Amino acid sequence: MLWSRSIVRRILWMHVVAVGTIALFVPLSLYLLLVAETSSLHREAMREQADRIASHLVTTGGRWRLDLPKDMRDLYSEALGRYIYAVVGDDGTVLFSSRYAAQAIFPDAPFTSKPEFLQAEPPHSNISGTRIPRTEGDHTVYIEVAENLSHRDVLIDDIVSNFIPRVAWITLPILLLLLGVETHVVRRVFRPVQEASERARQISPRRTDIRLSLQDIPSEIAPLVVAVNEALDRLEQGFRVQREFTADAAHELRTPITILRTRIDTLVDDRVAEPLRRDLETMTRVVTQLLEMAEVENMALGDSERADLLAVAADVIAFLVPLAIAEGRSIALSGVEEPVWVAGHAEVIGRAFRNLIENAIRHTPAGTVVEVIVEADGTVHVCDEGPGIADAEREFLFRRFWRRDRKRSGGAGLGLSIVRRIMELSGGSVTVANRTDGGACFTLRFRVVPAAADQDGAAVVQAAERDDGAAPAS
Amino acid sequence: MRVLIVEDNEELARLVVGGLAKAGHPAEHAATAAEARHMLAVDTYDAVILDLGLPDADGLVIVREMRARQDPTAILVLTARAGVDDRVEGLRCGADDYLVKPFAFEELVARLEALSRRPRAMQGQVLSIANLSFDTAGRQAFVDEVPHVLSARELAVLEMLMRRKGRVVPKKLVEDQLFGAGGDLSSNAVEVYVHRLRKQLAERGALVTIHTVRGVGYMIAEAK
Ligand SMILES: Nc1ncnc2c1ncn2[C@@H]1O[C@H](COP(=O)(O)OP(=O)(O)OP(=O)(O)O)[C@@H](O)[C@H]1O
Ligand SMILES: [Mg+2]
Repeated sequence: MLWSRSIVRRILWMHVVAVGTIALFVPLSLYLLLVAETSSLHREAMREQADRIASHLVTTGGRWRLDLPKDMRDLYSEALGRYIYAVVGDDGTVLFSSRYAAQAIFPDAPFTSKPEFLQAEPPHSNISGTRIPRTEGDHTVYIEVAENLSHRDVLIDDIVSNFIPRVAWITLPILLLLLGVETHVVRRVFRPVQEASERARQISPRRTDIRLSLQDIPSEIAPLVVAVNEALDRLEQGFRVQREFTADAAHELRTPITILRTRIDTLVDDRVAEPLRRDLETMTRVVTQLLEMAEVENMALGDSERADLLAVAADVIAFLVPLAIAEGRSIALSGVEEPVWVAGHAEVIGRAFRNLIENAIRHTPAGTVVEVIVEADGTVHVCDEGPGIADAEREFLFRRFWRRDRKRSGGAGLGLSIVRRIMELSGGSVTVANRTDGGACFTLRFRVVPAAADQDGAAVVQAAERDDGAAPAS
Repeated sequence: MRVLIVEDNEELARLVVGGLAKAGHPAEHAATAAEARHMLAVDTYDAVILDLGLPDADGLVIVREMRARQDPTAILVLTARAGVDDRVEGLRCGADDYLVKPFAFEELVARLEALSRRPRAMQGQVLSIANLSFDTAGRQAFVDEVPHVLSARELAVLEMLMRRKGRVVPKKLVEDQLFGAGGDLSSNAVEVYVHRLRKQLAERGALVTIHTVRGVGYMIAEAK
């Protein structure tokens, strides 16, 4: 994961990189600072000591004398071995020295008129100190003071050499803690955004009433939320217009057809009425199927809808069987004995069954039975003994307005498109196969759900059953 | 039977009133919910044909009002939409039956007559199909006016079938009627009674068929 799509992760990732870099640089620079500080402390001390020695250096009659007090002499004792001094003439002769073997400390460094900080040549490079000139009349001497760094104060030594392992690690937990705090803060800041996303996820054609809350939303993101809400307003408006149009169209179309139908039905002369009625029935079928298609097209179902396939099937069969019997066919229900609860709306699923069974009745020969089989796994088969579906027809079968025989009136060619749309709505599928002994077998597959606690779907079926449906609409 | 038709389309209302009159049912017309309320208040009808899409109110409101004051008048709802919830909603509100526009006029008359035969409307009556008739008060079946003796259970099955002639009587309903709800019985017990009934009716020359709709129920219809 070098670059994540999550903003929170991006921010945290950048922080990890930043913190990592800082964790590296802070101790390093602290260490360098510490080293610089100790060396400047050392120089200052050397300078001070050189000045003090200079203050004890006097000339009497062209001769130099050095009278060091006891405490200073102790400081430069060879037993201690830490500090050394030497007073050197400008010709290089050693006038005074803390060491028995009187030597200059920095014999190779040329004399200058300014104070200098020097380091002895190897192999004495652990000896470092200062040299200052002192002039009295026209005589100049140089006072050299140095410290043997390998004998340096243990404390300072420890601080410097142990700084990284002992002290620098503290920066890491501090930075990690900071990272933790950052994570928390960033998450907190983004929580309203996350909540808005959660809410947005619930938006579906059925739930277009949801709007995202602007409360606690960071001002950078607020315009996005506002834009989404506005888009939702337009979407909801669009759906409403569509649904209203379908409802209005249904009313506007059905009323004149009803008037026409009633007028024909109340005609006295049946020889005139009969062909008119047949024409009108075809037209009614087309209009009804069109409206039904429009309705399911604009429909959206909630996740909580459930229906009992067995009850719906029994209901639809009871509704259609008088028509089938009148035409010398019958319908039978078999398979499970117990309710099969699936996702979907009972009435809508009933329409899918109705369209398949109507087709089967139309295609099965007189004297045969259309079999409706409901299985416990949420599968429903509608099988007939008609001509079946040729392989070449399969791809057209579910298309709108496709009919095998356009000259034969009676159908709108929409039934199977309606079925397919309903299965899409219910989260299922529809397939077709031919029976080995002839005839088509349509199979609907639904999503099985646990038996409903609120049996809303069952109520639909019961309400319909109480009244035992109605005779088939023609 | 006296019928009130509540329908905002004047032309349709006029045709229905005319047709019903011809079928022997005097009918009156109300074009709005307000008018319907008024007419229901001053007069009594055997049945109301109610369009759901009225200009001044939802037809279901009238159904609710009538049921709230325990008006027993049969209500047949008409709607232009075969919408998902309309039917359930209408029946839940207390309507007795439901018809989607466009409907066959014959169907409308048949439904109205079926409603008036409901127990709440009348007690004793004679149900008939072809040459078979059934006197619900005397509990007696006749073929060509000749009375025939049937067992009590056979009579019960026949009555259920004849009350819903041309429609399916769910198997469960017959079972409950014969053996009481929740009675545990072998699934073909009902089939046995129906089979006996079928045989007896055939022997006596009744021109009816009792269809078994396998897995669903039974239906009586004229023999073809
Ligand atoms: N069970 C079947 N057996 C054989 N052919 C079938 C069967 N079901 C459908 N078909 C063919 O598929 C075509 C499309 O069916 P669909 O139900 O979509 O339309 P329709 O029945 O013609 O019209 P409607 O919209 O009124 O139902 C039918 O015209 C018919 O030719
Ligand atoms: Mg079809």
